[in-house]
Amino acid sequence: MSKLRLRSVSKRYGATVALEYGDLDLEAGEVHVLMGANGSGKSTLSKIIAGSVRPDSGIIELDGKAISITNPQAAREFGVAIFYQELSLAAHRTVAENICLSQLPSTAGVFLDRQKMIEIAERRIAPFLDVVGDGFSVNTQVGQLRADQRQLVEIMKTFAQDADILIFDEPTSALDRAQVECFLNLLREQKAAGRCIVFISHRRDEIFDIGDRITIIRDGRTVSTKVLSETNIDEVLIAMVGEGEAVAEQQSQSLPQRTEIGEIKLVVEDITNDSLQEVGFQVSAGEILGLGGLHGHGQSAILRTIFGVLDLGTGQIFLDGAAKDLNSPRAAIRNGIAYISGDRRRDGIITDRSILENVVPVYALKKHLIAASPNTLGKKARMALELLQSKYESLAHSIGSMSGGNQQKVVVARWLMDAPDILLLDDPTKGIDMATKKELFNLIRELAAQGMAIILYSSEDAELLENADRILVLNNGKIVRELKGSERTRYNLYHAAYEAA
Amino acid sequence: MDATLTSRGNWQSILGRYPFVPALIILIMLLVFNGMAEPNSLSFRSVNGLFKTYMALMFLAVAQTLVVSAADVDLSLGAILSLVNVTVVTTIGVFGDGPLAIVAACLVGVFVGFLCGLLNGFVVAGLNLQPIVATFATGVLFTGIALWVLPVAGMPVPSAYWRLYGGSVLGIPFIYYILAGLGLAIFLISRTTLMVKILAVGDDQQGAFQSGLPVTRIRISAYAYCGVFSAFAALCITGDTASGDPLVGNAMTLYSIAAVVLGGTALSGGKATLLGAAIGALTIGLINSLVFFVGTPSEWQNLVQGMSILVALMLGIFVSRRVEQ
Ligand SMILES: Nc1ncnc2c1ncn2[C@@H]1O[C@H](COP(=O)(O)OP(=O)(O)OP(=O)(O)O)[C@@H](O)[C@H]1O
Ligand SMILES: [Mg+2]
Repeated sequence: MSKLRLRSVSKRYGATVALEYGDLDLEAGEVHVLMGANGSGKSTLSKIIAGSVRPDSGIIELDGKAISITNPQAAREFGVAIFYQELSLAAHRTVAENICLSQLPSTAGVFLDRQKMIEIAERRIAPFLDVVGDGFSVNTQVGQLRADQRQLVEIMKTFAQDADILIFDEPTSALDRAQVECFLNLLREQKAAGRCIVFISHRRDEIFDIGDRITIIRDGRTVSTKVLSETNIDEVLIAMVGEGEAVAEQQSQSLPQRTEIGEIKLVVEDITNDSLQEVGFQVSAGEILGLGGLHGHGQSAILRTIFGVLDLGTGQIFLDGAAKDLNSPRAAIRNGIAYISGDRRRDGIITDRSILENVVPVYALKKHLIAASPNTLGKKARMALELLQSKYESLAHSIGSMSGGNQQKVVVARWLMDAPDILLLDDPTKGIDMATKKELFNLIRELAAQGMAIILYSSEDAELLENADRILVLNNGKIVRELKGSERTRYNLYHAAYEAA
Repeated sequence: MDATLTSRGNWQSILGRYPFVPALIILIMLLVFNGMAEPNSLSFRSVNGLFKTYMALMFLAVAQTLVVSAADVDLSLGAILSLVNVTVVTTIGVFGDGPLAIVAACLVGVFVGFLCGLLNGFVVAGLNLQPIVATFATGVLFTGIALWVLPVAGMPVPSAYWRLYGGSVLGIPFIYYILAGLGLAIFLISRTTLMVKILAVGDDQQGAFQSGLPVTRIRISAYAYCGVFSAFAALCITGDTASGDPLVGNAMTLYSIAAVVLGGTALSGGKATLLGAAIGALTIGLINSLVFFVGTPSEWQNLVQGMSILVALMLGIFVSRRVEQ
């Protein structure tokens, strides 16, 4: 008998159907992968099980008995714990407080038992101790952590609830390889202990590595469930996009044509600051320069320094041969630099504002717009959004009504309204589904072919290897290796990244 | 470079744990200024007087901090204070003026404050109304009730009440027992699980809900405790003014918010310090006394007070920004 069964569960928001027909069978002791394009309803389905979204209709059965999960507390009593894609952390609380938040240990039922809380937290941190990185302790405020560390805290918080049913909604999107490995090992332990686990990810390797069964969800409908060892990525992709759309065509596409590389566009000399050491390189028009290495070893710092967010330190930056003083993002934008970040909560979206307002600010800054009609702006915004096949109800809706991946598309679209000269990509595809990733990289290569200079950092090695003409491998804020031409192999990349670590 | 880095890191962790430190520094600076302007202002008697006058504001600031922590705000607590003040005074009138009657009247007052807070919590968190507008409205309501209970100011309290408040017990001014009580309350409240939950709600309400916290109940509790502490403030005011006044607290509402911010609490919620709020209230008290001691002409006093509070606010923010960068 299955542990948890969902039968034709549905949820709408006004005219948007978030989930039309959700069917799911979870067995004890399995890792059940949920896969689908952005906006297909994975998070909605997860939140329904976790009680934070009430379904409009449908039946949920736990151990064969129909139940109704009215709120997250009820879900917890039924033994459900969830990792939220957008995280559920309190930025000013400490790591320990966040890990234990749902069940704070107390003395006399009133006072916080700090010692016990720290013990519990430390037990949850222990398996990750080697991979959490610097500046992480039980007493650190979560807001001061890096994106990957925050994600680890949410993971620990999920485990800390000791639940029978664990749901992980894109838990690995900001993690580096070592962190992912560590997490997957824990999942294996939980599985062996008979827990049932729902796992959502857009990363192919992980899915086939950890998953037992996979349920594909397309446009709000669960379309098929398969045993992973009896299927392959092509079948999965076909099920995701539908039979009609020939995946075969995308498969046959050969490696991208490398365009002629033009003049040198950007020269960076000798940047040394809080997170970088003697970093120098150049990028030419039409080139895609990749930044590789373990997560958080200075890749973002380079991009954020060029964009004027971080202090340049002793270094210098030349654009088209002329030294430039880029001391603020505003100056960088005016000089034709664009920065797309995967950490959309920090750098990207303007929470609670409309989609339109989220697409146009950069355009408005560059064009020195003082007043504009929503109609003309809207047309431009829609064009940019369509380039990426974003799914949204109307431009006037709040950005929060979009799925995670679609929010990321808005952040990308913002910079495409008016093409920049230099494009800085800081893990831009975080949370974007595979089909759109492909689209996005086609677009990026096209932009390079038109003469844009592009610097790309991606936490997925495959993306770097497939798209960058040249890869600089970073370690501890230093460039340790440059991979060109046929040197660009996964082996070389790993080798250079782990060399000094 | 390393040295400056670590020292900044130290400051950051100090500020993270004790966000009231800038307020404390400003407070000490003000004490020094006061001493320079008029050495007498630092005498035991004047300091007692300062506490006597501003104890109510300290309680109010702590009350306000409780709701601000949850990213809410209470614009009615001044009115709650007035209502409790007139309730206590008239209840004493009814019960007679023996010590037992006074204690009973105080308990009634605290209960009224609790009920007012509960109502606030219900309209804000239960009915999901905007806290600013909702508590503004309940504030008007409370003032209305206060005016009904005691239409004109002036009903005196028994001398036992204000003699105790202004006098000494076992050689120590009674006001310091109250101060110790406030300190103990701050110490205890900061260590409750409820406070952690309130702060988590203030940080990210959606996140707290998704983590399984009973968000509505937590916000209502914050308002209820806010009402109770406003009532304590009313008991102090009653001792200080020795009479009932249906409008005594209304002007204090915004002072309480200023004190909260001066103390290092973020109005956006999630980051709060009860001790800082109390220090912030004292800061306002000291500013006022300084303005008086440097001999500002009366028609200029408000202007100078306002400017000084602004400067203190800017100093606090400047310090925290420098450290956080
Ligand atoms: N609160 C909301 N209000 C309105 N629409 C919503 C809301 N939440 C989700 N939706 C819509 O429901 C659809 C499904 O969203 P959901 O977040 O479940 O997608 P997802 O499969 O998790 O996508 P992703 O891979 O991008 O995270 C989307 O089209 C989204 O715009
Ligand atoms: Mg999602």
